[in-house]
Amino acid sequence: MSRLQDKTALVTGGRQGIGRGIVDAFVTEGASVMTCGRGERPVELPENVRWQTTDVSDAAAVENLKQQVVRHFGTLSILVNNAGLQVEKTVVETSDKDWDRVMGVNAKGVFLVCRAMIPLMAEGGSIINIGSISANVADPGMALYNASKAFVHGLTRSIAVDHGPAVRCNAISPGWIATDMAQAAFAVAGDPEAAERDALARHPVGRLGRPADIARFAVWLGSDDAAFATGQCYILDGGMTAASPLHPGLF
Amino acid sequence: MRGVSDISRASAVGERYLQDRVAVVTGGCGGIGQAICQRFAREGAVVYAADITPAQTLHSALRYVKHDVALENDAVAVMQQIEREHGRLDILVNAAGIEIETTIEQTTLNDWNRIFAVNVTGTFLSCKYALPLMRNAGAGSIINFGSYDGFIADPSLAAYCASKGAVHALTRAMACDYGPENIRVNAICPGYIDTPMLQSFFGDSGNIESLKQAVRDIHPIRSYGTPEDVANLVNWLAGDESRYATGQLWVIDGGLSAQVQQMRL
Repeated sequence: MSRLQDKTALVTGGRQGIGRGIVDAFVTEGASVMTCGRGERPVELPENVRWQTTDVSDAAAVENLKQQVVRHFGTLSILVNNAGLQVEKTVVETSDKDWDRVMGVNAKGVFLVCRAMIPLMAEGGSIINIGSISANVADPGMALYNASKAFVHGLTRSIAVDHGPAVRCNAISPGWIATDMAQAAFAVAGDPEAAERDALARHPVGRLGRPADIARFAVWLGSDDAAFATGQCYILDGGMTAASPLHPGLF
Repeated sequence: MRGVSDISRASAVGERYLQDRVAVVTGGCGGIGQAICQRFAREGAVVYAADITPAQTLHSALRYVKHDVALENDAVAVMQQIEREHGRLDILVNAAGIEIETTIEQTTLNDWNRIFAVNVTGTFLSCKYALPLMRNAGAGSIINFGSYDGFIADPSLAAYCASKGAVHALTRAMACDYGPENIRVNAICPGYIDTPMLQSFFGDSGNIESLKQAVRDIHPIRSYGTPEDVANLVNWLAGDESRYATGQLWVIDGGLSAQVQQMRL
């Protein structure tokens, strides 16, 4: 398929999970794709995907990333800010170092990459930020993560308003996606298996999300079909947040 | 401004994305409804344009079926016809809707009841009688029409705003109830889309052209939406690419509601 033919795309955090799913979908749809992460190039990354080792919380590294985009692509059609991490702590448990890690990647990193790349999108572009349902409703014990995603939603609207009409900017707010991050959250529960069963029961679609679920909507948002869509934080969560957080077995 | 040439842009879903799916679009002869019907037909679906009056010219691939969405008998008859001809229904789009441009003091009880009869009861009835046919299919996608007016108010549209809020709540409730049967329910919430309904909204204003320009320029995207813009998202929600999406309200408004009121300083 070729829905993103002739488009160039940068996806941050493309090593695994949702980011990797988006990279794969964009390649399938004909885009030229660059991705980045803190470590070395993943060995299984398709050859036609460019890799740039980058810590998005480091302004100098992001400037270097921009130079690579300019060198290889010239202009940029699609930017996906996916790089993110979580620390499972309440406010009282959170250290200054935790703050720097979470806010450095999830908040400052999104800001730095947007600031660097928006000037490369003057001919028209689509920014897709990975927000979270946790920005709207709190995940317990995830205080800074929740707050960092609220930052992403606020920045999404600001970019849409300030940099439209050339740049469209939307966020996708995934619910529970079956990634290592979700498994880590289950692992800290008293009974991890019961926690996972309970999580499934809370999803009207009867399953957790997959990176491909998010990637398919990222393709839509990156395509010309989404020409009138901007400034929104679209929830893609299997229906979980449409329902009250009461335990589904109560009635 | 984007123009009609946009319609020929590369499709943003797979080839023949809705091949052989059976779809009913209420309000299918209206401004947005027709664009949805045509997109569905292009994607390979069997499309019934259900409306109270037929379009003057209906695309040859579409089947017209008379449907006053406020009447229970009509909803029953439409779904009986679909069952006779196909035995199942895959997609229902509740695009039939009306608006009345009044404050609540200016709204008669008849006006209030009429707008709720079409926008809310119509959605309820179409869904109620479509669900058994979706159960036959083993899966289904329902797309209701909410509005950005279900979140924030336009002046003198009180009953319309309230009716769209009701559709939003109904959408979430149905998603919870029918998700386990593989039936997804979402609402699309358009902003200012260039349709006859929008022309009617502007029709009462003094200086129409300058008002239209002013409203256009408030949008971060600097244009009105087209019926095709709405159809593009309805199309994505109708098919399997959105199979993890349910119970959500999908605003598509050119960024209008992402911003705070703009002060004229």
